[in-house]
Amino acid sequence: MVIRKLNEEIMLYSLVFSFDFALMCTLAAIGLGTLCFIVRTKKFFNLTATKIERKYCGFATEEQSQKGKSDHLDVDFWNLIRCFPIFDFLDWREKAKKMSGWDRFKPSRSRLGRNPTNMDQRTVPRTVTLGRVQPQAPSHRTIYCNDRDANLVLRFKGNSISTTKYNFFSFLPKGLYEQFRRVANLYFLMVSILSATPYSPVHPITNVVPLSLVLLVSLIKEAFEDWKRLQNDMTINNTLVDVLQDQRWECIPWKRLQVGDIVRVKQDGFFPADLLLLASTNPDGICYVETANLDGETNLKIRKALERTWDYLTSEKAFEFKGEVQCEQPNNSLYTFTGNLVMENQTLPLSPNQLLLRGCSLKNTQYIVGAVIFTGHETKVMMNSMNVPSKRSTLERKLDKLILALFCTLFSMCLIGAIGSGVFINKKYYFLGLDKGVEDQFNPNNRFLVALLTMLTLLTLYSTIIPISLYVSIEMIKFIQSTQFINRDINMYHAETNTPALARTSNLNEELGQVEYIFSDKTGTLTRNLMEFFKCSIGGEMYGTGITEIERGIAEQNGIKLQEQKLTNAVHEKGFNFVDERLMRGAWRNEVNADACKEFFRCLAICHTVLPEGDVSPEKIKYQAASPDEAALVIAAKNFGFFFYRRTPTAIYVRESHVERMGKVQDVSYEILNVLEFNSTRKRQSVVCRYPDGRLVLYCKGADTVIFERLTVGNDNLRKVTREHLENFGASGLRTLCLAYRDLVPDVYESWNEKFIHAKSSLRDREKKLDEVAELIEKDLILIGATAIEDKLQEGVPNCIETLSRAGIKIWVLTGDKIETAINIAYACNLMNNEMKQFIISSETDAIREVEERGNQVEIARSIKEEVKNKLKKCIDEAQQYFHNVSGPKLALVIDGKCLMYALDPSLRAMLLTLSLNCASVVCCRVSPLQKAQVTSLVKKGARKITLSIGDGANDVSMIQAAHIGVGISGLEGMQAVMASDFAIAQFRFLKDLLLVHGRWSYLRICKVVMYFFYKNLTFTLTQFWFTFYTGFSGQRFYDDWFQSLFNVIFTSFPVIILGLFEKDVSAALSKRYPELYKEGIRNAFFKWRVVATWAFFAVYQSLVFYHFVNTSSYAAESSSGKMFGLWDVSTMTFTCIVVTVNLRLLMMCNSITRWHYIGVGGSIVAWFLFIFLYSGLMTKHDRQENIYWAIYILMSTAYFYVALLLIPVAALLVDFIYQGVQRWFFPYDYQIVQEIHRHEPEDSRTDLLEIENNLTPEEARSYALSQLPRELSKHTGFAFDSPGYESFFASQRGIFAPHKAWDVAKRASMKSKPKVSKKEKH
Amino acid sequence: MEVDGASTSNGGASTSNGRANGGRSRRTAFDLFKQQQLPACKPVLTPVWVITAFMLIGSIFIPLGLVTLHASRSVVEIVYRYDAECVPKAFRGNKVSYIKNGSIPKNCYRSLKVHKHMKAPIYIYYQLDNYYQNHRRYIKSRSDQQLLHGHAHYDTSSCQPEEYNNGLPIVPCGLIAWSLFNDTFTFIRGRAELKVNRKNIAWESDRDHKFGKKVYPINFQNGTLIGGAKLDPDIPLHDQEDLIVWMRTSALPSFRKLYGRIEEDLEADDVVFVTLMNNYNTYSFGGKKKLVLSTTGWLGGKNDFLGAACIFVGSSSIILSIVFMLLHVKYRRNYRGTSYLSWNW
Repeated sequence: MVIRKLNEEIMLYSLVFSFDFALMCTLAAIGLGTLCFIVRTKKFFNLTATKIERKYCGFATEEQSQKGKSDHLDVDFWNLIRCFPIFDFLDWREKAKKMSGWDRFKPSRSRLGRNPTNMDQRTVPRTVTLGRVQPQAPSHRTIYCNDRDANLVLRFKGNSISTTKYNFFSFLPKGLYEQFRRVANLYFLMVSILSATPYSPVHPITNVVPLSLVLLVSLIKEAFEDWKRLQNDMTINNTLVDVLQDQRWECIPWKRLQVGDIVRVKQDGFFPADLLLLASTNPDGICYVETANLDGETNLKIRKALERTWDYLTSEKAFEFKGEVQCEQPNNSLYTFTGNLVMENQTLPLSPNQLLLRGCSLKNTQYIVGAVIFTGHETKVMMNSMNVPSKRSTLERKLDKLILALFCTLFSMCLIGAIGSGVFINKKYYFLGLDKGVEDQFNPNNRFLVALLTMLTLLTLYSTIIPISLYVSIEMIKFIQSTQFINRDINMYHAETNTPALARTSNLNEELGQVEYIFSDKTGTLTRNLMEFFKCSIGGEMYGTGITEIERGIAEQNGIKLQEQKLTNAVHEKGFNFVDERLMRGAWRNEVNADACKEFFRCLAICHTVLPEGDVSPEKIKYQAASPDEAALVIAAKNFGFFFYRRTPTAIYVRESHVERMGKVQDVSYEILNVLEFNSTRKRQSVVCRYPDGRLVLYCKGADTVIFERLTVGNDNLRKVTREHLENFGASGLRTLCLAYRDLVPDVYESWNEKFIHAKSSLRDREKKLDEVAELIEKDLILIGATAIEDKLQEGVPNCIETLSRAGIKIWVLTGDKIETAINIAYACNLMNNEMKQFIISSETDAIREVEERGNQVEIARSIKEEVKNKLKKCIDEAQQYFHNVSGPKLALVIDGKCLMYALDPSLRAMLLTLSLNCASVVCCRVSPLQKAQVTSLVKKGARKITLSIGDGANDVSMIQAAHIGVGISGLEGMQAVMASDFAIAQFRFLKDLLLVHGRWSYLRICKVVMYFFYKNLTFTLTQFWFTFYTGFSGQRFYDDWFQSLFNVIFTSFPVIILGLFEKDVSAALSKRYPELYKEGIRNAFFKWRVVATWAFFAVYQSLVFYHFVNTSSYAAESSSGKMFGLWDVSTMTFTCIVVTVNLRLLMMCNSITRWHYIGVGGSIVAWFLFIFLYSGLMTKHDRQENIYWAIYILMSTAYFYVALLLIPVAALLVDFIYQGVQRWFFPYDYQIVQEIHRHEPEDSRTDLLEIENNLTPEEARSYALSQLPRELSKHTGFAFDSPGYESFFASQRGIFAPHKAWDVAKRASMKSKPKVSKKEKH
Repeated sequence: MEVDGASTSNGGASTSNGRANGGRSRRTAFDLFKQQQLPACKPVLTPVWVITAFMLIGSIFIPLGLVTLHASRSVVEIVYRYDAECVPKAFRGNKVSYIKNGSIPKNCYRSLKVHKHMKAPIYIYYQLDNYYQNHRRYIKSRSDQQLLHGHAHYDTSSCQPEEYNNGLPIVPCGLIAWSLFNDTFTFIRGRAELKVNRKNIAWESDRDHKFGKKVYPINFQNGTLIGGAKLDPDIPLHDQEDLIVWMRTSALPSFRKLYGRIEEDLEADDVVFVTLMNNYNTYSFGGKKKLVLSTTGWLGGKNDFLGAACIFVGSSSIILSIVFMLLHVKYRRNYRGTSYLSWNW
């Protein structure tokens, strides 16, 4: 086993090197040509060198490279050479070490050094090797604001961006280089070259035609994609912005913006470049900025201008602004900026607070005035754009193995032929003229050489065994699949947000059909992150009549149909979904416990840290809260008539209505004396306030466990009832909080306050001391009641999760939430239930807490690790009992971030993996983004299963990129997850369509396409191989050159694409109704070696039938005229049979035959006949010695032709047919059974009532249609990048990089720039 | 196999709409494509279909096979191997030296007995075995342009090694022409010589388009080594049908080539005396030479293979269909229920 692996490795290496080397050499020639051209004019060379150096070698500045160049021009030349990626074969040894597997064929893209972080890594060793002293970069740049002439000297870059891969001149060389990085293409290039030598039995055309057709198609595609990128860039570059020119605001396109310009950006506008904020229409020079494009955070950020510049708001005033900005050089750090503004001999320090980044948009501000600091590719966002590591599908990697197997087959076939030729060649065959001056290949005196040269001959002859058009066909199929099917699927269109699904890469379509593990974020993915006040319990009375989705789900499972009362006058706003007439509109005053209600509402209105914003009216006010829960509570208070509208540092203002009597409104201000803030250990929050009448109250809200511990003695009844209510709420999947209050006596309070102030001002352990002080006063509380907030699940989530788990997919929830919430949600969405055996590994145990108290970091780590280890061991032992018996309960694992950190340790990783893989569901809570990625790659690499990550926020980016497939939730404001993802869908439930329908079909299709390619090429080549045995192993070709070259690209190419597009085993509705069908993909049932072997068997059988049937039957005369067939008649006959059979075989493997299939198959056969009629009717001037002239007409004049054409395909396909019949009869696949069950039903997805379907109203259908129109891409594009901090993680992940895709906007923002006149030239 | 108008509601609507409004129907068809709901035939290979298909194949191929086999059987064929017998006993030990020795007469007299009535035309073939006319070196060695245009066509490099002789170009050049078969046959029945028609033995397309009417053999077979037959330099290649037949190289190392036609019926029990000139050297590589007299049917010469294969395919289909039918009757299941799904086991 090991040895085999080793051999494989060795072979791989040698293959890699030879291919790589050949490629490099070929392209080196082109490269050198280009270089010579460059060197011709020194001026141009200087210029280019500067540019390239900066681009590839990471020279930080112009000045520096200027200096370097003038000193070491000769060194520069070599530097320049090294900068070209194509010369990287110079360090191929290093490269080979780094890369592994077949991926080696794709040299890593990171070496292009587009990534700023890479640049740095690169520069260091390079500099050292050349012994070159790198001058220090000047640490700052100076910008003269509002003075274009002064800035002209400095030659800053323009604001236009270019993300295209090619330009007019580089298209051909670069595009071809990209193409020849594919093994198959490179192989065919080599074979083409070989076939131009005299050893070739075939005309070069045989290999050149298919190769050039394939290249042509690929290049057209590349050109098209680049064209789209170009158009996109142009749209962005031509967006208009107001710029100050001669005291007036002039509209100019973004691209003409220059550093130092003064611009005006209006509300909701995007910043065209990195700007220095000078003035804003808001008071205090403040403006609000939305940074969703940068970090996915949707809350507004505040930027504040320097006080000195507040006045430059109007065009007249701004015109007077003259300042000099000295700031750092462009860099990719989003959160730092240092600089000085020199104004009228005053130096004012600048901070990130004054910087407005490109890609953000202006909110809540009429307009701002700013000065341009960084432009175009030097903006922070562009410098941040990094190449997302592109993913290859597992199937494609397996395909590589198949190709390798084909190479081996090819090699052994050639070897057999070569040995045969060496043995065969003999002077006795005098008619071969082997005596006089015979060439080496047939010289019987040197049989070894004969064999060697015949090897080359056969290599070109059998080249068709490698399906050259396979990759390009697959790519085309996948492209159409993603752009036409996935993106246009009406079932994945979300009408509310007007978002269709988006396949951002077409590489992974079939991977979607094999997913076994889904890692899901919770907030925003499973839930809407929309907290709504839903129910409450006040003074032992439960209020709120709504029914949660979970309750409905439970009821439905029990067969009860719940009627929901629809109240027309119910108040429903964001954050408030409470229905109960007893409390609304002041009706609570008539309740028995009206006083408790009042306390309850006051507590809601006072005890929080929310900030109000906007107009002071209940309808228009907006609350800025740390968590949506808190906002929901304040909104609830507002709706109950306690409208919190203003907060000052010392007071909270509440507009209370219905308090004294119905309809009366009164503004009350409560003095806030202390705020005891919420944290995860306290799990509660308190506010001490003084009523206008002097009453001192502490309001407290927190988790039930914490509050109940601190209640005053007595009133056990209320306690009991409330607890029941809490349990009730919890079972419904609601998030609960308990509210309590305590009236304080001034003396007690004063003494406590002293301690509090003391604690607050202490320098050591302030947190701890504050907590201790808080304990002193948060006691003897009186329970008011409890709130229940619904964390609304996304629509259809439980159903979707259930369907997916039936499909054999395991769903893990990775969330930053705390353990209770996470478990709650897991229950809510069917991930866990009470029948499951739960393993909980939490760091919230006494043992761990105790160690943490002691505070020794090393000790903590060691003991937690020990604890986790023991826990894991215990769980595994316990789980082991259940592994063995089938009927045992399903297992669930809950683990929190801290424990996970230790469990991911290499020593425990295996245990964690064993345990978690045996669990039906896993919930990880309190995990960091990095841990999310680690867990994902643990399963991806440790278990070698196909993983999918789905999430919506910036914190999911890492896991989205770590998984095989990343899915982003689109339609919300944050775009970051989408930008990093491979697929974007609007709702979690669409995952069902994406996986079970599109993924499954894609997988099936691609498998069939690959298998079919394999089969047809093998069949065709084998007939050729059998013929070799009858030609004295001379390598004589059986078929005409054109037959061979067009076999792949014309006669058999179209139907297989049709197959790849239209094949479906069962309809979409059935795919979702029988999710278990998906398991076939997980098991990889259609692309196993067994399947390959079956196809290979049929290929061998059929090729034998073709070859021998035709040859044996054409032994005697075939017509009544007694004339005999020659070689070319026989081969034409054979080829006709092959074309017909192979095309019919395609029909046999289809489960769904559309009109296109008939057109494709019929068309291919007709194409062959048309071709041969024409071709054999012509006698060309450039004959190739063995003319096929008239062959088909001779054939068709015989009755034999028709009998044979009927017999041979049937005989060839008979065995396949028997196989299919027997297989379906005795060993049916599941999909075949489903087909049979439903074979009489018409396909109509709408008839299926089992699920929530997208039944679009005409209006929604219209908006869908509109969404499908070609639209202008939003300005969001090109602004994506990884969030800071995860780089280290991705550094290890990087390695494979694939070409850009047009639809892959994240990769768009490359560091390319237009050539510009260098400073040197000016001097 | 079920053919349903998939997505009946949609598809039906679109077709009816389509008549009224051309533009709309096209869009709808495209929508069906995008939603992957194109109307399709969904063949389900149920037992009934398997059995029917096999039956169908059987019922087509057995009659076809019988007809084909009959056609082949009604052809009368006499095959006579003469390479060994035509070597005088004295030379049996060293056949190569016999054949290479020009001074020894190569005449050989043999008699063939006709078993069955042979209806004219009776085709005369010579058959060679182990003769690699499809060897790459051999097959390349010709110049079609020269055959058509004569020595006016200079580029005959492909004809190596039979391109030039004594510095003069050879027409027809190349190994194939050089090794032209040169055994001859004459036939006598009773007293009368049977007339052998040597015309029209090559395909018209070869004669008319590949061999020039004004191209005469030049410098042919003048070298030290004589490969095979010589050609009459006064007859244009277009009329040298032996050469044309020979130049249409065979697919396999064992092949027949048409020599001529006897245009008289041969009765059963007739004895035909053959005078053959055993000139051609197949002895050095151990090849066999055979003389074949054959009539033809509508399907050509005697070749049972096609008919036998048809009958084999047909009968095995019938047998299979019977096997499947028995199985079907025994384990009667038209289609399966959900209980057969692997996850419901």
